[in-house]
Amino acid sequence: MNIEGKKAIWKDYQKDIADDSYFYVRSCVRQNFLPGSETTFIRIVREELGKDIYEHPCHTTCTGIGYHGDIVPVDTMMTVVARQFALMTEAGYENLVPSCITSFGIYTEVLDTWHHFPEVEARVREYLRMATGREFKIPANIAHASDIIYKFRKEIATKAMYKLINKNTGKPLKVVEHIGCHYSKMFPEKGVGGAEYPYVLVGMIEEWGGEVVDYPERRHCCGFGFRQYLVQANRGFSISCSRKKFESMQDYEPDMIITNCPGCPMFLDKWQYAISELEGKTYGKDGMGIPVFTYEEVAGMLLGYDPWDLGMQVHQVAVEPLLDKIGVSYDASRKYLGINNKNLGQPKSPNVLVTAKSLLSESL
Amino acid sequence: MNTQKTKSVIVIGAGIAGMESSAQLASFGHQVTLLEKEKVVGGHVANWERLFPTMKPASEIIDLLKTDIMNNVNVQLDAEVFKIEFSNQEFIVTLTDGQILKSDAVLLATGYDLFDPRGKEEYGYGIYDNVITSAELEAVFKNGKELKTSTGKTPKRVGIIHCVGSRDIKAGNQYCSNVCCITGVKQAIEIKEAVPDAEVFCFYMDLRMFGRYFEDMYLKAQEKYGVQFVRGRLSEACENQDGSLIIKVEDTLASKPLKMTVDLIVLLLGFEASKGTTSLGKMLHLNFGDDRFISPTNEHLLRHNTKMEGIFVAGTCTGPKSIIATISDARGAVITVNNYLNNLN
Amino acid sequence: MGKLFDKLKEDVRFVEGFTACINCGTCTAICAAAEFYNYDPRLLVDTVQTQNDDYIEALLKSNTIWYCGECMSCKTRCPRGNVPGLIVMALRSLSQDLGYFVESEKGRQQLFIKRVIGGWILNFGYCLYLEGIGTDMYAEQGPVWDWRQKNWSDVLARLGANYKGEGPGILRKIPAEALDEIRRIFEVTGGKVRFDKIEESSEKKAKEMNLKFGDGTDNEYFQHIFSYDNQNHNKE
Repeated sequence: MNIEGKKAIWKDYQKDIADDSYFYVRSCVRQNFLPGSETTFIRIVREELGKDIYEHPCHTTCTGIGYHGDIVPVDTMMTVVARQFALMTEAGYENLVPSCITSFGIYTEVLDTWHHFPEVEARVREYLRMATGREFKIPANIAHASDIIYKFRKEIATKAMYKLINKNTGKPLKVVEHIGCHYSKMFPEKGVGGAEYPYVLVGMIEEWGGEVVDYPERRHCCGFGFRQYLVQANRGFSISCSRKKFESMQDYEPDMIITNCPGCPMFLDKWQYAISELEGKTYGKDGMGIPVFTYEEVAGMLLGYDPWDLGMQVHQVAVEPLLDKIGVSYDASRKYLGINNKNLGQPKSPNVLVTAKSLLSESL
Repeated sequence: MNTQKTKSVIVIGAGIAGMESSAQLASFGHQVTLLEKEKVVGGHVANWERLFPTMKPASEIIDLLKTDIMNNVNVQLDAEVFKIEFSNQEFIVTLTDGQILKSDAVLLATGYDLFDPRGKEEYGYGIYDNVITSAELEAVFKNGKELKTSTGKTPKRVGIIHCVGSRDIKAGNQYCSNVCCITGVKQAIEIKEAVPDAEVFCFYMDLRMFGRYFEDMYLKAQEKYGVQFVRGRLSEACENQDGSLIIKVEDTLASKPLKMTVDLIVLLLGFEASKGTTSLGKMLHLNFGDDRFISPTNEHLLRHNTKMEGIFVAGTCTGPKSIIATISDARGAVITVNNYLNNLN
Repeated sequence: MGKLFDKLKEDVRFVEGFTACINCGTCTAICAAAEFYNYDPRLLVDTVQTQNDDYIEALLKSNTIWYCGECMSCKTRCPRGNVPGLIVMALRSLSQDLGYFVESEKGRQQLFIKRVIGGWILNFGYCLYLEGIGTDMYAEQGPVWDWRQKNWSDVLARLGANYKGEGPGILRKIPAEALDEIRRIFEVTGGKVRFDKIEESSEKKAKEMNLKFGDGTDNEYFQHIFSYDNQNHNKE
């Protein structure tokens, strides 16, 4: 594989990413499944990068899952989006930073549609006025939260305590990067690196010392498919998509997977568990699976934050092997504690996937 | 001006259109200067090994044309046009080296460039070592080399991809480039001749076998050589660890997605207006089609006239053509230019 | 021109997503749903472009339009600039607005999405509100999810959330006035009409199928659409 060929493409897909004064809109999936990542994003942006990031307490879902579940009509979705823009205008911000990739796709799609069909924008403005009395300005910049971390990857690298390097071998870790479909498949020019060779995560991995693994099913959807996961009868599709990716990447022996979408890390994590239960098969060494991370978890980990502050304890596939490879120090006994050391018990061990806890209990 | 005075014409581009029209115009008694920006004549055809549908060597045509222009045409190589102006009833052509030439007419034979396959990112050209172009394959045959993969293996399976950079608004070219399909059939046959045990697949949308003997070639490819044709446009190529490639298409005739591992992929590149066609055409304020080739005054009957009196066009600068069509077109340009020059006073 | 085709053209997504198809197959080649389901997006678009009312009506009543995962991989490839994914979204909207969705097994599942996701949007302002949604419905979430459910508020607090709290923060209480605005938006833009249509058509269908229908999730029809799979959706 010739990296120079990719570099030429990356040069073509540069994107304007705002450098301060962010209006943050949260992700429904992440708030429920990976809340530590959103907390970490705000922490990094405020405390490490010294930027202004604001969250309006009245902002809501963009209705993304409902829209792509096809229960929310397109006019309704657009008007809810318009309301988010109105809140942003009211708060005096111009730079929208969605936490969710589907949201990012939706905001981009809405602006593109209004650009081609101004009568649709006019109609939506009228709907918003009728329903809420609100008015809005079009955002000056829309950047996904991963674009922000990408933009400041060098600053994060200079402050980092660790690198994506195996401390025992001195070699860069092998990292699979997975991009959420709605990041750049819809509007390639709105994603760093375009649709075929997105660079937003590659840039972070390279800057932080890791080695990117490219494999044949890299671009394949993780299989969320909205209704294909939500409804039990459809779930075979969802697990099959993730499985296809695992089968394709396993020969490359990746140390970790990083993704920039809310749903993808949850699915790539949980489907490894389900596959292990259904087929007895695990990916990665010693039956432990390949740990899956959000980019905030990785950034925070390299900056030296406590993995249990980052939220890694909610992963099903064990993260400890990766933490040990990097040399991150952590206190295993604190993994499942609540605030003020509250004892919250521990999850049971899965039947097949080996977790750090089961290793621990085996050694006792 | 004296009507007995010899008229002059500058022909820009010494590909086959430029060479043929120069030779013929000279034979009518005009003073012909043929400018070529490269160091050799022959344009693209000079790089081809064998030609469809006859499988005759390209060198035959090039040698013949070279002979024709040898005596009567003033050929200048390494001569790139910088500026063309019209003043005092003549054209003033300035070269990049400062040389100034004058003539009564100018014939653009500036031709085409092949589509840059890097524009079709999902095919991996320039990233995966075993993705090559039709031109690169032709060069392998022309240089008498053996067909090998990047790791020196003899390929067991080759995929030929039709419509690369053609019929594709994402690639920027809505139009069909005319001759790639038959090129694919020809090269499929040639690959089978070179590596008889290899499996060769052509991945196409439509097979444009428009010319005389083209259908015969298609039949021969299937019957004699066992080339397989899959009606499905390449959607994506990915690389395995060993450098082999996975092709993702739909077998549309079976309505099923199809994945296949191949050792080598050959991209049949479409034509685009060359840099010279574009810059000179713009400089002269000629009309261009949406396909960015030059538009002649009338597509049916005035194919060689342009918006500018005294500026004429020949060959692929007005659109993709086969060699047969290019030579015919060049001869049509000759008649037009000849009549124009004879009617000048 | 067919009436159903005209109705599709009223959806801006259809206008954006459909030009004309040359049947090259690059969409199906890359489609995740075409790999696993008995589904071919090229055929779907080719059928739509006949503009034939009978064919399109059959589509709207079939399982075919419900296989797509809306990943939009097809958008990256089509050489004519079509987007089968957007065409599918327009078909799904029309199918629900006409009540045709209940004629197919996969279409009937829309009631689940409307009640669960739609309910969360209107009642909480989130698409997902997962306290109490455990591994009985989503077994693949695994034992860590069981632990999370057992300690829902505590784990959220540990990770910096503001669960049900005032002001900004993860899973905060979204103010009533904001939810009122969302509800009014649904009313004004046809969202409520869509939701009501989903309920009304589903209730009628449940009667036809002799399945008990009720509010919420704890009734025969609802449980049936959530889990029933006729095992006939995959490729051989």
